Amino acid sequence: MGRGILFVTTDQQRYDALGCNGGAIARTPVIDGLAASGIRYERAHPQNVVCMPSRATMLTGQHVRNHGVWMNGVPLPADAPTVAGLLHDAGWRTGLFGKAHFEPLLDPFLRFPANRMGLTGDTDEAGRAHRGFEHMEFAGHGSAGPNHYGGWLRKNQPDHMGSFFPALGIDLEVNSEGGGESGAPQVRHNPVPRESYHTDWVADRAIKWLDGLDLDDDWFCWLSFPDPHHPWDPPTSELHRVPWRDLDLPEGYPEVASEREAAIDAKAAHWRHWYDGTLVTNYEAPPRWVPATLTTDQVREVNAMAHIQNELIDEALGRVLGALEADGRGNGTDVVFTTDHGEFQGDHGFLFKGPFHVDSLMRLPLVWRPAPSRAVQPSVVQEPVGLLDLAPTFCRIAGLPVPEWMDGEPLPTSPADAAAQGRQRVLTEWDSVHPGGAEVHLQTITRDGLVCTRYEPGTCQDGTEGELWDLAEDPLQLVNLWDDPAQRSLRDDLVGDLVEALPERPRTPLVLEAPV
Amino acid sequence: MAEHAVDVRREIVIDAGVDVVWDIVADAARQAEWFPGMVSSQVDDGIRIIVTAVGGVLVEEILDVDHHARCFEYSITGPMHLDHHRGRITVMEAPDGARVVYEQELQPKALVYVLDAAIGDALEGLRDLVMDGRTSRSFVAADVRPDGQPMGEGG
Repeated sequence: MGRGILFVTTDQQRYDALGCNGGAIARTPVIDGLAASGIRYERAHPQNVVCMPSRATMLTGQHVRNHGVWMNGVPLPADAPTVAGLLHDAGWRTGLFGKAHFEPLLDPFLRFPANRMGLTGDTDEAGRAHRGFEHMEFAGHGSAGPNHYGGWLRKNQPDHMGSFFPALGIDLEVNSEGGGESGAPQVRHNPVPRESYHTDWVADRAIKWLDGLDLDDDWFCWLSFPDPHHPWDPPTSELHRVPWRDLDLPEGYPEVASEREAAIDAKAAHWRHWYDGTLVTNYEAPPRWVPATLTTDQVREVNAMAHIQNELIDEALGRVLGALEADGRGNGTDVVFTTDHGEFQGDHGFLFKGPFHVDSLMRLPLVWRPAPSRAVQPSVVQEPVGLLDLAPTFCRIAGLPVPEWMDGEPLPTSPADAAAQGRQRVLTEWDSVHPGGAEVHLQTITRDGLVCTRYEPGTCQDGTEGELWDLAEDPLQLVNLWDDPAQRSLRDDLVGDLVEALPERPRTPLVLEAPV
Repeated sequence: MAEHAVDVRREIVIDAGVDVVWDIVADAARQAEWFPGMVSSQVDDGIRIIVTAVGGVLVEEILDVDHHARCFEYSITGPMHLDHHRGRITVMEAPDGARVVYEQELQPKALVYVLDAAIGDALEGLRDLVMDGRTSRSFVAADVRPDGQPMGEGG
């Protein structure tokens, strides 16, 4: 019987989306079960809080500055080394199903190989593995775009091509339109049948590929669900799962406007500019949507939609695991579950994401269920880890040496293991230059229960600003200690550690070739 | 072009006579032959319909074809909504051949990076067509009809 690595990712999912992390709304028994019998990480951070840089980190095990994908729209170089390539070269079967996003999605002239594969339906790149994957079938957040799911939907459910919320508007900016019952942005009631929704499609395609392997094959399968990233348009048939009117407001959403705005004003200046709708910093949120207009009903409805999407993901993952159990491969399969970055989902008065390094976007769900055959003891690890540690972990599982070009190291399997590794810090960075908009540069170190962000000069910052959060005393990140004289030496120590630990920026940044 | 700043500008020098290059640029219906990612470019009564490789459509109004200045100017008018667009291709004499400058202005700016990269490819495609007679990778001489497929997807 071969060994297997099932790498499961979601897109834009919060830490508290899962029951095992304290989430009390979405029912996620499958992932909770993996956590109970595996290792759950309490402080896992991405190295960037948007898709392409974060996914490039997952694939390469590198900091953003080393793989070079500094923002959405920067394609990962075709010759970038990948963990999938290492496994493929070592004889492992490699497949990816769902959202890849190593190359830009907005690609009208079909410049990128992944989009050409998606349009033609090819599952490899002209007979060769693409980025180390011998078989890829892509899905996006709906029916649009050149991807395999869109092609499948066009063939099998043509009447539902228009059922999904159009993520982009007619001007190709992120769509600011509202929907649902509250008018929340990017919400729609979607009549597509549940079994034809992309979550189930991703699981179906992965199961089919896994079924086609020999039982003796070693395999690496990246199961990459596009949800719960906006648009929030799960199948209407599933809306009964979480009636949005029954939801409490999230703890991170200060309902009283004056309190909410005071907390925003305690943060770096671009927070308030975005809230008021006076500054667009990045492409990832609708530019015409003004966060200050967000209503409590909209917060509730968006949260309900995300919880529903998370339940569907859990059930789809359960089907994949069930298929592996049924043919005897479950016992030899490692499962790693995480996401690329978080989502505000109402926290601080915002939706979506951007250059904001707080737990809403940085604290991620991460669960590793080692293959039961290895009898690793269940554990909870508090020490900070990063998505750059995933690729080295896959190397270790496969018995391959961790190459020098990877910046991370294998995930610890226990607190003792974390201590032995000397785990102390995790780093996250953001650089954006929005056309016609703002330039923002920030870097963050998370260490000793503190989150410290420094800002380099940009549109709203002169290089002196920052944020310092004490996660134990202020878990909602409302009291910024950056300018507290009593914290000055601590702040200086953290910034010094951050500067020393971050790699140098590349001399020639990679070129931005699309907005997303 | 004076009221708006140029958002995207690329240029190339092609080792060929300036009139040879201009004849191709000035023939609006031939753009798909040298613009990678365009499947077809059909012109009717001053309107050019572009079909891109993902099945998307661009409707363009040809604003001016100035044979004296060797300058071709057009505007994307639909179906996507742009508050402003101008495209300009100018062919100039150069010591080592023909210098081709491709500029675009647009508002909003969502497509700035897409167009920047694409017109870079296009100028190389123009050189390939002029020098070697090679047409671009997506060009088909068939009567392709748009199917309304969106241009891409958000992330």
